[in-house]
Formats: sequence, structure tokens, C-alpha cells
Amino acid sequence: MSSVDFKTYVDQACRAAEEFVNVYYTTMDKRRRLLSRLYMGTATLVWNGNAVSGQESLSEFFEMLPSSEFQINVVDCQPVHDEATPSQATVLVVICGSVKFEGNKQRDFNQNFILTAQASASNTVWKIASDCFRFQDWAS
Amino acid sequence: MADDGKSYNEHNDRVSVPRRRKGRGPFRWTGNRRSGRGNSGVRSNRLDEDDGDVAMTDAQDGPRVRYNPYVNRSNRRGDNWYDRDRIHVTVRRDRGPPERGVAGPSQDGTTKNWFKITIPYGRKYDKAWLLSLIQSKCSVPFTPIEFHYENMRAQFFVEDASTASALKAVNYKIVDRENRKISIIINSSAPPQILQNELKPEHVEQLKLIMSKRYDGSQQALDLKGLRTDPDLVTQNIDVVLSRRNCMAASLRIIEENIPELLSLNLSGNRLFRLDDLSPIVQKAPNLKILNLSGNELKSERELDKVKGLKLEELWLDGNPLCDSFRDQSTYISAIRERFPKLLRLDGHELPPPIAFDVGAPTMLPPCKGSYFGTETLKRLLLHFLQQYYAIYDSGDRQGLLDAYHDGACCSLSIPITPQNPNRSNLAEYFKDSRNVKKLKDPSLRFRLLKHTRLNVVAFLNELPKTQHDVNSFVVDISAQTSTLLCFSVNGVFKEVDGKARDFLRAFTRTFIAVPASNSGLCIVNDELFVRNASPEEIQRAFAMPAPTPSSSPVPTLSPEQQEMLQAFSNQSGMNLEWSQKCLQDNDWDYTRSAQVFTQLKAEGKIPEVAFMK
Repeated sequence: MSSVDFKTYVDQACRAAEEFVNVYYTTMDKRRRLLSRLYMGTATLVWNGNAVSGQESLSEFFEMLPSSEFQINVVDCQPVHDEATPSQATVLVVICGSVKFEGNKQRDFNQNFILTAQASASNTVWKIASDCFRFQDWAS
Repeated sequence: MADDGKSYNEHNDRVSVPRRRKGRGPFRWTGNRRSGRGNSGVRSNRLDEDDGDVAMTDAQDGPRVRYNPYVNRSNRRGDNWYDRDRIHVTVRRDRGPPERGVAGPSQDGTTKNWFKITIPYGRKYDKAWLLSLIQSKCSVPFTPIEFHYENMRAQFFVEDASTASALKAVNYKIVDRENRKISIIINSSAPPQILQNELKPEHVEQLKLIMSKRYDGSQQALDLKGLRTDPDLVTQNIDVVLSRRNCMAASLRIIEENIPELLSLNLSGNRLFRLDDLSPIVQKAPNLKILNLSGNELKSERELDKVKGLKLEELWLDGNPLCDSFRDQSTYISAIRERFPKLLRLDGHELPPPIAFDVGAPTMLPPCKGSYFGTETLKRLLLHFLQQYYAIYDSGDRQGLLDAYHDGACCSLSIPITPQNPNRSNLAEYFKDSRNVKKLKDPSLRFRLLKHTRLNVVAFLNELPKTQHDVNSFVVDISAQTSTLLCFSVNGVFKEVDGKARDFLRAFTRTFIAVPASNSGLCIVNDELFVRNASPEEIQRAFAMPAPTPSSSPVPTLSPEQQEMLQAFSNQSGMNLEWSQKCLQDNDWDYTRSAQVFTQLKAEGKIPEVAFMK
């Protein structure tokens, strides 16, 4: 990544992150059934130390979670170095917010995603390669 | 019986509503088919004489009367000698259809009264035999109150006119073993003595004392098993019988005033034959989850309707007559579950999970776990890396981190948004570097806050406040791993060691993406650091393993280098100097190997607590 190109990558990462955060948490709260479609087939989720891999397992996992109301406060993002993901535009998105799961108290969480652009013949779709979620007070 | 329906409809809508809703009438009876037929016989008789609508209402509502929690109150209101007398006269005179006559006084809304039932020469008969014989011929189920013998007579009380009139109809309809017809005489009466009187205040005080002895605060459990035979009560000659309304009411009042948080109540072996008087518990102890009613005299599962507002998870009913009235176990379970859908255990047996669980939306979250490393190899690799990284990070000079970063690495920092002026929050030192793209829309600012290339990243880190991390607080999740990438996040706490916020405790979540380094280690390409104030719980847990103090200084035979290494190792591992030195010596003062061995032994739980005590 040359320095000139880097700014372009940063802009792209920010746009992807902003768009992603809108889509992801709206889908999570309102169209949970579709949420797993945002993940790659090989994606991994580590949810408070519980690892879930593959679209089908993710689908089951999300179905099991109570309905949610997410509120996003902080979003940071970085273009992932291409030595880590050769020839694939990849973005790290880091999120802090609070969530109220039905029947549970509202809790703060940190979450990070690796998003990668999946190019097909007709268009390019961004998908989640990994997802790591943890409550700030997970130990209590 | 007709008067019941009429009077409630005309005089008291509030009362009539629940009765009508429940009005599945005789079809609900499980006990006695014959009495069901008897009842319909009465109904058709009455259809000839009475208004059809009224008869229908009556036929449905008659048997339900005793299940209405309001009945007793309306009874008390209407309880005066004048009304009683008029009903009394009517009933006694009546040999044919009794309904007309009874309908008179019922217009005043005073249908509810007590009646004394007398069986002359009843002493000849066994109580159980006699009562079951009467019940088998009586068109409504009845509850005999205060059954007793007086001279040769057997007597008991029932508490409403419809039941009394149904019993009247049994007069001379039953025969004893010598084929003698048994007469049944009905008289209106005052409420039975035992129901009239409240407990004496001093008895209530005694009862309170005994209940507090029988209360287990740690389990929030009250054990009133066989209360009547409580030695304290017996020796003081206090008669507390929970099957009596006044006693149950007094007990419930004590619960309400002293232990409304009650979770578990044992009422076994108290000869409870109905639960009307227990029903206020639904309001008085709304958290009750475990109820033991075993070894009582409950005859119908419908008694449970009176307490079905309880969200019971565990119920004991064995040893009640009602248990024998079911075809099989599944009928029994489903009849009970109908009342308590959340029930998990019945008579000590685990029930199959409630169906409602599948239908209802989930509210259970998966349990939270500690670090997720995936494999032991990754765990060792990462813990080693983090120990080295934070040893340098906390050393006071972060320049040494240059080796940990890729040439094209980037790094950014974020803090939680604070509604108030960020300068007043004590995260002010981090605020100027905070990169929240949700708030910052200016592309050039976004670009500037993202530190890019190794030198810029390390220079940036070097300017952040000096820190001491609590390595024991670290929780690490590896969320992605390929041949070219390792993505992991580290959660933990650190304290600042100088500046304005000296000794202030922060919590952080740091997300790294690393690529394989030439020396089979890791090389960071992405680093995002989120810093917030530690919560009170985190402050309490932080640095629970004490750092060494100067008083426990190492033996002076160590070289200055070794002393420095020992101090660093002790800081990192949380072990005291003695154990840290032992670990380093055992590994020939190879810091990295010592750290690996420590990490492995700690993970295996092989390091004793004493190693962490200063």
C-alpha cells in the first residue's frame, strides 16, 4: 500500500464500515432470520467466548438469541493490510455500544468484524469473515 | 339453585363474571358420574317449572359456586339472622322442588349462608363412609366444615344455600348397611365457631415466633409441615390448624408482613381440604416458586385453580386424594401443568420441558465464557507474544515495540462517547486521538487520526500515558485465523502510572490483526485500542494478585540484570519474587522460556496460590 493509495483505502474502509453498521444492526434487531446471510460460509463468530462457525450454525445461534435492541455509540475502522488478506479488500470494524436483549438488562459490549469484498461476475458484495462479540461486564 | 344465577345476575355483576367464564359445569366433574346425571335430572324437572334461561344458568353455575373466591365475601355481607331465617324456613318446608322458595330471599342478594347439616344417630357411622355415601348421592360436590359428633348426632357445616338444598334432596335417599334410611336435616346457622374468630393477638405472636424458627433465610423457605403438631404450639396449648380460615389468614398475614420474598413454602401434612384460604398467597408472596402440599386432603385438582396465579416451578401433591383420581400419569401431569405452565418438577420428578418454552420467545443468553484461543498451540503463541508485548509496553519506553509492528501497520484509538464535555471526563488525555467515524465525518480528520506505518504507530503509542497492565485480567478471543492472518482481541485492565490520572484504572479492548513473522512469531498489521474507565467490579478484581513490595527484596546474590529480569517477571506473572526467581532459575534465566513454562503451568492449574502471595 503506497501512501497515496492508503487514503483511498481509508475512505473505502470508512464507507464500508458505516454502511455495514447500519445494515448489520438493523438486520440483527428486525430481520434476524436473514442475519447469517451477511456472513461468509466459512465465517467464525466468537460470542463471549463461545465459538460458532459456518452459516448454518450461525443461523441457529442467532435464532436462539432473544430479540434485541442495539444502540451503537462508537465505530472505528481500518483497512486491513493486504499481506494479511492478499488481493482482497478487507476492513476491520470495531464497535462499542449497548444492547438490550429481551428479558435481560441493558449491557455494554465491544465487537469487531473483519469484512471482505466478495467479487462475483455481476457485482461486489461485502461479507463478514469474522465476528467477535463480548459484553464489557461478561464476567459478572 | 336457580336463585344463585338470578341473584348474581341481578345484584352483583362483579361476582357473576368469573363464575360464568368458568361455567363448564358438570362436564368438568371427574369425581362422580352419577351425581352428574342426577344434576341433569334436577335441571329437566326445573325446566318444567322455571324460566328456561335461569335453569340453564343455574345448572352451569351451581357446582361452580364453591370455586369462586368471591363467594365467601358475599356470604359475609349477607350474613344476618333475618335472611338466614327465611331461607331456613323455606328449606325445611320444602319437600318438592326447593328452588322457588329459596328464590325469594335470594332477591336480596343474600343467598350465601351457613347451614348446619345434622344426621341423627350419625355417630353409628364412620365419618369417611358417611360422607362419601352422601357425596355419591348429592348433586353437587360439597365440603363438610367442622365435622363432629354431638351426642348421637353427626354434624357438619356447609356454606351456601345451593349446597344445602342439594343435601336436602339426599334426605332419606341413602340407606345404611342395615338398609335403614338415613335422614339428613338442614338448619341455617351462624358460621362455624372456628371460622368466626380471629386468632388471639398473643397466639399470633407465638405463631410468628414459630414461623420465624421454621424459616430458612438462606433458601427463603418456610417449612410449615404438620404445623398443628408443632411441639411449641402443643405445649402452649395453642390450636393452630391451617385448614381453618383464621389460622391460614393469620399465617399469610405474617408472611406478607415479614417474608414477602418467600420462594418455597411447605404446607404438607396440614389436613388442607381446600385452598380457598390459601389463595391470597398469590398476592402476598408473588415470588413463590416451590409449594409442597403433599399429605393433605385435597380431593380435586380444581382446588389448585385458587392458587394458579403462582408462577410455580416445583409442586408436591402426593398423598392427596386428588392424585388417585387420574387415569394415568400423563393426565395427572397435564392437569397440573394446565394450572402451572412453568412447572419443572412435580412430586420430585423432573417434568418434560414445558411446551410453552418452544413457543415463547427466548430470553436466555448463552453463558459467557473466558478466553477463546481455539487451540493450545495458538494459546501458547499468543500468550507468549502478549507477555513480551506488554512487558515492553509497560516498561516506560515503548520504542522497543518497533519490532512487533509491520512496516505498513496502522493503529487507531477510540473511547466511549460521553454526553458531557470530554475535558471533564477523565479520559480527556485520550480524547484528542479518539477516532469514532460515527461522529467524525470529515475524511481528512478520519485519515489523520489513523496512524499509519510502523514509525508513526510506535511514536503514537509512545505518547500515550504510561501504564501497568494486569496480565492476569486479560481475556483473549481469537476470532480469525488463516495461514496469513491472526485476528485476536484482548480485554483487560491497566492503571496509569504517572501524570494526572496516576493510579487510575482503565479497561481496554484491543483488536489486533497480525501476520506471521520470520522468527515464527507475530507481526502486527492492524491495532485498534478502545479505552474506557474501569467499572467498580473491574476495579475490585484488578491486580488481585499483589505486585511485589520492596520489603520482600530478592537475595542480593543476583546480578543487576537478573534483579531487573526478576522484577519484570514478577510484575508480568503476578507471582511473588521468591517464586518468580525459582521459575527463572529453573529455566537458566531465559525470560521467554520461563514465561512459557509459567503460562503453561498456570493454565494447568499447577501453580499454588502461595506463589501469588507476597
